[in-house]
Amino acid sequence: MRQTFDTMGTVVSLEWPGNLSQLDAVRSLFEAADRRFSLHRPDSELRRVADGSLELLDASAELREVYATALGWRGETGGAFTPHRPDGAVDLNGIVKAWAMAEAGRALGDSDWCLNVGGDVLVSGQAAPGAPWVVGIVDPADRAVLLTAVPVVGARRAVATSGSAERGDHIWTRGRERAEFAQVTVLADDIVTADVLATAIVSGGAASLDDLTGRFDVDVLTVDREGGLRATPGMRELVAI
Amino acid sequence: MRRRAAVASVIASAGVIIAGFQIGSAVSASRTASSSGSSGGSATSTGGSTGATPGATASPGATGSTGSTGSAQDGTFNGPTEQTPFGPMQVAAVISGGKITDVKVLQRTNQGGRSIQISNQADPMLRSEVLQAQSANVSMIGGATYTSEGYLMSLQSALDKAGFTG
Amino acid sequence: MTIQNASRPTAPPSGAGRPMSRRAQFRRRSAVSDLLVVIAWVSGPVAASLYLASGGLSDVKDPGSFFTALGIVTGLIGTDFILLMLVLAARVPAIDRAVGHDRAIALHRQLGKPALYLILGHAALLLIGYGMSSGINPIAEIGPMLTLPDMITAVVGTALLIAVVVTSLVAVRRKFPYEFWHVIHLLSYAAVLFALPHQLSIGGTLAAGTVQRVYWIGLYVIAIGAIVIFRVAVPVVKSWAHDIRVQEVQWIAPDVASIHLTGRDLRALGAGGGEFVIWRFWTPSTWWHSHPISLSALPTDRRARITVRVLGRGTRRLTSVKPGTRVSFAGPYGIFTDAARTSPKLAIVAAGIGITPARALLEGSQLARGEATVLVRSSTDDETFLWNEMRKLAEARGAQLFAMVGPRARNSWMSQQDAARGVTLRSVFPDLDRSDLYVCGPQPWAEAVVADARAAGLPEHQIHLESFEL
Repeated sequence: MRQTFDTMGTVVSLEWPGNLSQLDAVRSLFEAADRRFSLHRPDSELRRVADGSLELLDASAELREVYATALGWRGETGGAFTPHRPDGAVDLNGIVKAWAMAEAGRALGDSDWCLNVGGDVLVSGQAAPGAPWVVGIVDPADRAVLLTAVPVVGARRAVATSGSAERGDHIWTRGRERAEFAQVTVLADDIVTADVLATAIVSGGAASLDDLTGRFDVDVLTVDREGGLRATPGMRELVAI
Repeated sequence: MRRRAAVASVIASAGVIIAGFQIGSAVSASRTASSSGSSGGSATSTGGSTGATPGATASPGATGSTGSTGSAQDGTFNGPTEQTPFGPMQVAAVISGGKITDVKVLQRTNQGGRSIQISNQADPMLRSEVLQAQSANVSMIGGATYTSEGYLMSLQSALDKAGFTG
Repeated sequence: MTIQNASRPTAPPSGAGRPMSRRAQFRRRSAVSDLLVVIAWVSGPVAASLYLASGGLSDVKDPGSFFTALGIVTGLIGTDFILLMLVLAARVPAIDRAVGHDRAIALHRQLGKPALYLILGHAALLLIGYGMSSGINPIAEIGPMLTLPDMITAVVGTALLIAVVVTSLVAVRRKFPYEFWHVIHLLSYAAVLFALPHQLSIGGTLAAGTVQRVYWIGLYVIAIGAIVIFRVAVPVVKSWAHDIRVQEVQWIAPDVASIHLTGRDLRALGAGGGEFVIWRFWTPSTWWHSHPISLSALPTDRRARITVRVLGRGTRRLTSVKPGTRVSFAGPYGIFTDAARTSPKLAIVAAGIGITPARALLEGSQLARGEATVLVRSSTDDETFLWNEMRKLAEARGAQLFAMVGPRARNSWMSQQDAARGVTLRSVFPDLDRSDLYVCGPQPWAEAVVADARAAGLPEHQIHLESFEL
């Protein structure tokens, strides 16, 4: 069964066996995350921390945990991914969505389902017996056209895509006006890793691509400004003719 | 220094330098030797770029390699080796039917001085190599985040609509 | 356990066949010495060739890559020089026997500044070259360069090298006490080791899997191995084996003392006569300063004697060591020996404290009667210590002994009286052309004697000058 709902400024598409209480649980999870972390809401907890009216030490355990995770990833990616905007303000947007998706995934359990939140996809099981979930990747030059499709098999469960020309999530590229990659898709075993690394590679460019593919067990497909592609061996195998 | 030693040193030094030259030339020559194909010229330098493909949109079949005519320009052409502080970097372009049909990385630099785990490098890939997908054959669409407004015009919304009825 | 310097060349037995074997020995020694010199000088071009052989030249196509190539080559040659300097300072017996330790140290000193210039040039040229290639100015290039692996340690190594070379400049060295200079100089080992990692981790010439890398590591092994073996391990083992102690300090002139030593198998210290040994006396005030001092007599199995002139604080402290003091040593070294002879006759000219190796030489050489002639020189009657021993030895060995006493004549090494009388080297040593001339004494005086000998046409290989170096 397939359902959609709005949250966090985007749209969630869920295909799952159909248990409505699970749908409610997922919905509430995203709603709670949005209430806590959205910088667009004047009364969100993160907004109050950003304003200074709430001390970080007094914030909820969940906020501190997400913040700590984001800082950990900042270290891991050498600063390519960072929860801080150039003006110093804290912006957890880059990680909250994936965080909530991971929680939703736990709520959905081990059955066959596929969760798409604004272009980032987390799956479990298969689409149909013997048929894996297949995620299409749009062409950044023309989003009405698919570049290719990635079957999510093996230990892989998450497909996260970041772009340098996004609206909504703004990725601050490090020290450069224009990003080397127009779009980066990361296939990983968990959604937070996939999302963070996709963001980091857009921000850090080819240097981050080489560094992070060497250190993390992920598959990556990148599209540069001229439309040229690069793929890790695992990704190549999945998408090649 | 005794004269005998001085003369011997000069001769030996000259010999050593010349030997170094010879070995070095052989090494360079073997690096740029073209593979079987035809006249290896010096290359279209593709050092590091991600495969110049004609056209940005990946319409199926448009850039397929024809590879039938063994024209004089076909073959594998190695780009110049670029020296970086971490080692040489070199790519080769495979030309077939007058078009670049493949891009190979011959020598890889170590970014930041650390060697990349060669097993997981992201290497250039041609559009013609990837499976052209139709949204009818996928479950979900992945891409950079769309907003609620953007969603309405996206492939995903079309897919969801189809899914509701399916 | 008997430790013997069995490999040191000993003089062949006297007899009719001797002149031939001396010449043959000399030929062999000079062949070895020439070979060592060739190896040392060719090592520089070999280092440059490592780069050529890796095909590096084919990458030179614009000014930027040209500077980079030059930077790589200067680094290779500069490091090669430094490793060569380590080997020269390691007191390798083969080198000492072939060219003499003092010549080795002289070359070591000569290489210091060129090596430093090459290393500094290496850094500057690479900054310029990479800067030109990437369009950044050299100063801005420093930042990215420092992020490369092992570059920080390489920079530290360079700083240490600068400190070592600067403090070794004669003008600077004089300002500091010897001990201070020596400690700084030991930092050169650290400098060398700090530089190695970046050589192996960056760049294509010494990349993993190449022959060049194997050769380069081999150079380091040889240089550091030579130091460890010949400057550290061998002296430690030998000192422990011979167990030398001070027996007595005996003053033989107002500022000259003989130190009598006891130990085991002491003949190994200098069987031929004329060698010097580097001593270290283990008292709180003397242990950190080692001294090269010639034996002033042939050692017996259990006894040895060295004679020291007090020239400064260090030597003064030596003369106040107590009996029973332990003594460690390195050596014997030096080619002021009978084994370095090339000619049928022996001529010795000695003055002041230089009489010590001369006396040992006279005692230790295999001599036929009339083969040796000795001239001992002194400005005053105070400088005639050990002359009585020389007299006895000359009589016993059938050698002619001349004494020249009196203030020095202007522009001459001789006394005024004898210079006025028309005495020359040839008049003292009529067979000068068929003699080996051994000169030992205060530096300026000894050099004047040698200059006189050269002016008289004596070939270089027949002139032996003892100068003490560390």
